[in-house]
Formats: sequence, structure tokens, C-alpha cells
Amino acid sequence: MKKELLYAGVFCLLVAGWLLPSMAQAQSDPTGQRRITDTYAITNATVFTAPGKAGIKATVLVKNGLIQAVGSNLSLPKEARMIAGDSLFIYPGFIAGASEVGITKPKDLERPKDFVSSNPPDEIAGITPWRSALDQFSIADSNVDDLRKVGFTIAQLMPDGGMIAGKTSIVLLGSESSTNLLKNNAALAASFRGSRGMYPGTAVGVMAKFREIYDNTELTSQRSQKYSTVAGLKRPEITPTYSAMQDVTTGQIPVLFTASSELEIRRAISLQQEKGFKLVLTGLEDYETVLDVIKASGAGVLVKLEIPDDKAIKAQKDDAEGEVKTLNARVQEAYDKALAQASKLEEAGIPFAFSIVDVKSGDVMKAVQTMIANGLSEEAALAALTTNPATILGLSNVAGTIEKGKIANLIMSTDSLFAEDSQIKHMVVDGFVYDYETKAKKKGAKNGKENGDVKIEGNWDYTSESPAGSGGGILSIQKNGSDYTGTITYDDPSGSGKATSPISNVALEGSTLSFSFNVSANGMEIQVDVAGDVSEGSYEATMTVGDFGSFPFKGTLNPTLIANK
Amino acid sequence: MKKVNYFLAALLGLSIQFASAQVKKGSVLIKNATVLTITEGTLDNSDVLVQDGIIKKVGKNLNAPSGVQTIDATGKYLMPGIIDAHSHLGLDVVNESTAPIVAEVRMKDVVNPYAVGIYRALAGGVTISHAMHGSANVIGGQNATLKHRWGSTDPADIIMQEAPRTIKFALGENPTRVHGRGNGIQPRTRMGVEAILRNGFNEAIQYKEAWTSYNAEASKKGSNALPPVHNERLQVLSDIIDGKIIIHCHSYRADEIYMLINVARDFGITKLVFQHTNEGFKVAPEIAEYTMGASVFADWWAYKFEVYYSTAYNAAILTENGAITSINSDDAELIRHLYHEAAKTQRYGGMTDEQALSMITINPAKQLGISDKVGSIEEGKQADLVIFEGHPLSSYAVPQMTFVDGVKYFDIKEDADDQRLKVSATDMVEPVMIYEGHNSRCMQDTEHLFETTNSLFHTNY
Repeated sequence: MKKELLYAGVFCLLVAGWLLPSMAQAQSDPTGQRRITDTYAITNATVFTAPGKAGIKATVLVKNGLIQAVGSNLSLPKEARMIAGDSLFIYPGFIAGASEVGITKPKDLERPKDFVSSNPPDEIAGITPWRSALDQFSIADSNVDDLRKVGFTIAQLMPDGGMIAGKTSIVLLGSESSTNLLKNNAALAASFRGSRGMYPGTAVGVMAKFREIYDNTELTSQRSQKYSTVAGLKRPEITPTYSAMQDVTTGQIPVLFTASSELEIRRAISLQQEKGFKLVLTGLEDYETVLDVIKASGAGVLVKLEIPDDKAIKAQKDDAEGEVKTLNARVQEAYDKALAQASKLEEAGIPFAFSIVDVKSGDVMKAVQTMIANGLSEEAALAALTTNPATILGLSNVAGTIEKGKIANLIMSTDSLFAEDSQIKHMVVDGFVYDYETKAKKKGAKNGKENGDVKIEGNWDYTSESPAGSGGGILSIQKNGSDYTGTITYDDPSGSGKATSPISNVALEGSTLSFSFNVSANGMEIQVDVAGDVSEGSYEATMTVGDFGSFPFKGTLNPTLIANK
Repeated sequence: MKKVNYFLAALLGLSIQFASAQVKKGSVLIKNATVLTITEGTLDNSDVLVQDGIIKKVGKNLNAPSGVQTIDATGKYLMPGIIDAHSHLGLDVVNESTAPIVAEVRMKDVVNPYAVGIYRALAGGVTISHAMHGSANVIGGQNATLKHRWGSTDPADIIMQEAPRTIKFALGENPTRVHGRGNGIQPRTRMGVEAILRNGFNEAIQYKEAWTSYNAEASKKGSNALPPVHNERLQVLSDIIDGKIIIHCHSYRADEIYMLINVARDFGITKLVFQHTNEGFKVAPEIAEYTMGASVFADWWAYKFEVYYSTAYNAAILTENGAITSINSDDAELIRHLYHEAAKTQRYGGMTDEQALSMITINPAKQLGISDKVGSIEEGKQADLVIFEGHPLSSYAVPQMTFVDGVKYFDIKEDADDQRLKVSATDMVEPVMIYEGHNSRCMQDTEHLFETTNSLFHTNY
């Protein structure tokens, strides 16, 4: 209910945003959205054309949504808009092997009157192979820009649903005026997710049902074939399920199987071996022990772009003794191994890409950096974000590298891409340029890197910008032993005045302060995550509001009456 | 000494990794044990030679071939690995409870070799367990027979691949509660359970017939026959009728047990074992005549209405009436001391040592269709063995070493505090608080009440 209201608010604001400036535009373009030029030249930048290639000083010419030329001494057309690239580093745009960005879950269907939970209709039981992710996708979703902001230009969209959710679509994260479609019905999204309260309800039922659907799709094909050539035969029963599954049984498209643990990976591979379909594994989280099995299967691999939660590691106390100490060590060992897993894939010679389903855009770069810090080569990391997904998705001839004739998908960063302080300043997707604010890092923080030098206790006045307007309030942080606690006030969404919530997960790492709080409105709880840099009493952060997107959040620490010693 | 151990540990770790390609088989000579063969009597001071996972020789004064380790078991007892005919260990999913018949479901799909309960079972001398589907359905899924090859990471390596197929059935309160009362569909009563069974089997006969006639027609020249719809569920029921699958049926009451015997007889099914079978003693001659027997609890009952009419003499009565009888655990804790459970049949029913031990070895092996391979110490059988300190039916029995296929997977001397194969990177470690002293005040001022007890039993706490 609240969500709908919020959406309505967001929609109104967006519409207002478009309408107002358009008054001033010429009548020939009432939208005011038409570009002055689609030709861009990014001059004299450091260009990394493909994983493993050293950076070269070059100019990149973009036209018609394509990369026209890369090199020095290019003759640039007059209509080219110049972007001075002298201090910029250019990389091929990232490709997400699997993503749910901009996807809205379709409404649950009403159960028919004669519903029997032991034998439900396919579409209620989560068996909807005919659905397309494209029908559930909106390029205007603010999550799309969040993802573009961290370097992604293409994503394979997974439809939301049950054990066989539907077909994936591969789209550009480009202009709102385009469908952005690169490939529809690219793969069949499957998982071990059972249906609640009906057949199949568990992974073991899902596996049996998957086999049954597969076998009957093949039999239906046989019957249909005969029926179309021989007269006088019984009409074969064609169902949407069997029709939509034929692309899989005939080997035209792969099954994109979500399998997070090693046992799930083995299960997906055992189904593949039994039935003989093409397989891409996605959402892998725990896979080190089955690298040989994965390699032997020849399946495509999409690792979840996430590092494991370190809550348990942080909770370990240095003064632990005896059994606790031993158990802590085992968890620590498992944690270290988990961080190094991606590098083991590289060692095993398995080309892999990433899934960003259930991954926050803001955490992506940190995850890649952590994988690199734990043994993954930068070349393999970049390949996993560009050329490998291009190969797995069948896009190698149009995307993945910076070369003439490929789609103009570029990342422009302020430093070598995976460097800790590197920021993305511009993105080019499909020839459209997106500019992002970069923050100058304060050098002063260098000589005092300890947490102790960054002071966050006290009362902060903050302002936040969101599509619903600007707001603000007081963020109050207290030190409690080695932890921080506090509260935050904000404009009450369900009325006038201010509401207050406690803040949780308050963490200060280096100069990065992050915390969360819950806003409840009309019985719905929305989690708000805030993270950003603290420097000399000012806080520049980003606020992520549930699924609605990310917005700026700025704070100023009020001086206290107590003198600094 | 320490160095040698370290070397062995490294070697063991290495060979575990290679095991995913092929199941490990070991060679060992166990000397001077009291060998409880189960099927060929008790042999004092005897040796058992195992080569490549198979019992090669049972006798006296055997010599170890070069490279084969010798274990001195003087004063100890050697028995065949204990077999549990009813367990749910090592399964990620137990119940696909959503339909009255889910015969198409395979527990082999969800075997989890990391379940630490497998190691604990080994510590109780159990080498084989029957990993069963749950009892929510009239006809549940197909079970997996597991060999406890602890340390394997590939589920296929702990499945006893050569064991015949088995399937779970369930009668009485569980399926009627889940489907009848829970979902408002058949079966709501015991009569409904029987109807589900008979309808299922009749449909399976029709299904088989449809495919038989299609296959016959399709093989003819220029045939235009169209294949019928595939139905794995009915295919499995048809396989049951054809004797390819052993039924293991959860049951309590005598009337429903007799009902299933009649259904089985009507459809020509002979491969049938009853599980739990608390009222089996009332229909023991019928069970003996028409089925592969009953797998029962030693003394566990009264946890729901249909389980009140029970007796600890059940196993003995069934045995004396000629029914193959085994004692099972159905429980991750009980599986650790099935030898004690078997011993209860001596207190309640006066079973001999051999009869009691058969109930946890050769009898469950028969019920799982693997008695030609395991369940006793005989030359040519698989070397699943346990060395006990004390007679296994004694209260003081403690398993010392457990072997599967001649490979030692449990040794009480090498039993580490933390035997888990795998730890999650996000595991929160909580200190285990052990009760120390009387800090609680809930018994304050009552100490005098215990003075007599303390002085009588010297309990200094």
C-alpha cells in the first residue's frame, strides 16, 4: 500500500521534472530529450581495450552508438562533442551475467475455485517457462541507474518466479527512449525453489517435476511432429509449458540454473547429465570443492558478486579461549577460503562471469576489490565483468571490449579501475553518455588513518534528497563501549512532524561511516542504509531506501560545548 | 610418533580427495578378537583378514600380506557393521508432503555427505543407514541406502549404489492429518488411505499397459502410434508391482498392517517391510507369512494416539513367530546406541545374543535387500566391521573402531572434538556454558531435603 503511494509520488515528481523544462523547448522536440549530437570523442585518455591489455594513450570516437575508432591522431568530425580524457581511464563497460535490475515481480495469480494443492496449475506452482523477463522490466527503475553508476552497461535479466520462472532477456542499461533489447528468450531461468503449500514444495519435488516436464516436452514434440505430417491422428495436447520448454530440449537455449551451494551445483549438473540440456550455473556462493565437477560438466559459471557477511568474524573476540578459540579459527579459515574462492576458479582455468542477483550495486566494487586482494588477478576480474559474460551470453561480436564496431559501452574512471579510491566519472552505454559526480578525496586523512582520528559521536544535522523532495533531521550517535548506537529523526512519512528511529549496524571503517534504520509507514517496514565518508565534521553519503534506489545524504556535525583535548 | 601421525593424516586427507572418483576400499587384518559372525556363530580368538574392502578370510593365526596393517583386538569383540533400516540422516529434504503419492521423488537427489550425524552414527558402530523419505504421504519418495563413508564430498560416494531400490509408504494418522485434515483432500481416514493405494496401483497397471501397447505398435513398420504421456509417479508404482522396489511402510495399528498385506497380495506384491509396526505382535504370523518382516523400535511409544497399544516384547513376539525383525532408530541420537536397543529384547523377551544382534545386522540387511553383501562376518562379504570394548549387548559396550569397506572411518583414539567436515564462513560461535555449581537460587533453602540422598549415594553436588 505504502509502496504504491511512494511509487505514485515518484511518478508525479518525474513527470513534473520532464514537463517543466519542456515548455522552453522548441515544438519540434516536445520531450526536450533529443540529443544535440550522438557523436562523442573522448580525447587523450588512458584506454584499456580488453582484459590483459596495457593502457594506451588514445582517443575514443563514438558515433551511432558504436565505437568508431580508437587511436591517436584521429580526425574528429565537427559534430563530435569533446570530452577531455587526459586524466581519465577508459574500460569496456561491465556485463552482468545475471541480474534482476528493474524487474518487478508479477502479481500472484488468484487460485482457481477447484484448486488442489497436490496438483496445482503450472503457473501457480511457479512453472512459467513462457514468461519473459522483458515483460517485467522497466528501464526507468532507479536501480538501473545505480547499476550503471558502478560500471554496468549490459545485463541478462532474470524473470521473477518459481522453479521455472521464465526466459531471460539481455538488455543494455541505456536510454529510456529505447527498448534496449539485445536478445530476448536468451535462457530458461530455473531454480530449486519449491512452491509454498503445493506440489512441488521442496527441492526434491522440484527435481522430480523438472524431469517430468522435460520428458513430456520431448514426447509432445514427437507427437506434434507426427501430427503435422500424418492425417487421422489424435490431436496432441499442447500446453504453454511444453511449448516454451522446447527451446531447451532442442538445445537452442541453455538452462540458467540458480545453484548457490556445492550440493546444489552437483544437483543441477546431475540433471544436466541425465537430460542433456545446455547449462549455465548462476548465483554460485560456495563452490571451491566442486571445481573439477564444474569443469568436467562444461557448464557456464556465474559467481555471485558478493563477499560473505563478516558479522561472525567481527564478533570473534581476541581473548577467546579453549573451544571457542578453536571454533573461531575454523570459521576464520572458512572465511578466508571463501574470499579466495574466485581466484581458485581462475587457477582451475574456468572462465567465469558474475551474477548480481540479490547484490547491492553499492557493494559491487568492494567485492571485486576483495576478490583481487585475495588472489584473483585484475585481468581475470575484468574478464569476468566483460569478455567472459560476453562469451557466455553469446555477445562476443558486439560487446565486451573496446574496438571498432562494438557497442559504445565504456567506463571512464578517475584512476585505474580497481584502485581503492578510483571513482567512475562518466559512463557510456549504447552511445549515451552519463555523468556522475566525483568527490575529491581529502589527502589530510592519510597521516591519521586510525578510527580514533575520525570523530562521529555527537549530533549531526543532515539533509537528504529524494524524488519525494528534500528532507532532513538530526542524526545522533553515541559511543557505547567499542560500539556505536544512536537515533535518527526524519519527516514522518505517514503524516506531519518528525519521527524517530534507532539506528543499527553502525560501523566506522577508516573514514567510512555506515548505518541503517527502519522507517515504518502503514504497517510496512522499509530499511534505509546510509554509507559515506566522514571528514572534519562533514558527512557525504548515499542513502539506499529499500528497493526504491539511492539518494544523496549530507550531514554536518554540530560542535559540542566540550573542548577538544 | 607425532610425525608419523601427521604423515598419516596428510595421506588420509589426500586419499579422501581422490575418493570422489571412486569409492575407497581398504585392507586390514584384525587379530585375536571374539568374532561375532552373526550367521556362523561366535569364534574365540580369531582373525579377520580384509583385502580391498572384502572379507577375505576368517580364521586363526592368519598372517597379514605385506603392506596390510594389523590391528590387535585381543580381549575385544568384532561384529559386522550395524545397519539401521529407518533413518533420515544425511538428507537435505525429508518430506515432499504436498501430494498423497510422490513416488517420483528420489531421496538420492538430496543426500548430504556433510551431515555430522553420519560420523556420530559411525561412533555408534553403524555403517549403513536407510535414508528414508518422511511419512507425510501414503506413498512417499524413493529412499537411499547409505554407506557411512565419512569424509566423502560427493553424495554419490556415500550412496550404496548396489543396494536395490526401496520406497516409503505411510499409513494412519500422518497421511490423514497432512492431506485429509490439512488440505481437505483424500485421504481423511484409514479407508481413504487404502483407496489411494488401490487407485494408485490400478492406474499404474493401466499406465504400464498404455506404454506396452505403444511400444509394441511403434516397433511395427510404418507405425503412426503416438507415445502416451510420461508419468514417473505411475512408472514407479508399476515397478513396485513388478517387484523391482521394496516397500518400507510406516505403520502402527494391526488393522492397517493387515490391510496393506491384503492390498499387496491383491496386486501380487511380495517385497514389503513394515516400519515401526507397534501392533505388529497382533499380526505377527501374517507378517511372517506374507512379508519381509518388520523394523521396530525397542521401546518407544505413546507419542500419539495410534501408538498407545505397544509393548517392549514386540520384537521378540515377531521373531518367535518367524517374522524377520529389525530394531531401528528413526533418530539421530538413538542411532548412536542401537546395540543397547537390541539388548532390550533380551530383557523383554529373552532373545539370545545371536537373535538380538541379528536385529541390527543381518535382519535389516535382509529387509534392505543387501544381505548377500553385508550384515554378517562371512568370507566374500563387504568388510563393514566394528570393534567393541565389551560385548556389544552389555551396558558397558563402547565401540572402538568402525570400518566401512575395510577403511577405518572411526577410531575412538583419534576422535577429535570437532569432526565437522565443513564450517560456514558466517557461523557465529557461541561459547557453550557448562553448568558449574549451585549458583541458581531456585533450590535455595531446600538443601536439607537432599541430605539423605547425599549420604546414601555419595553424590557430592
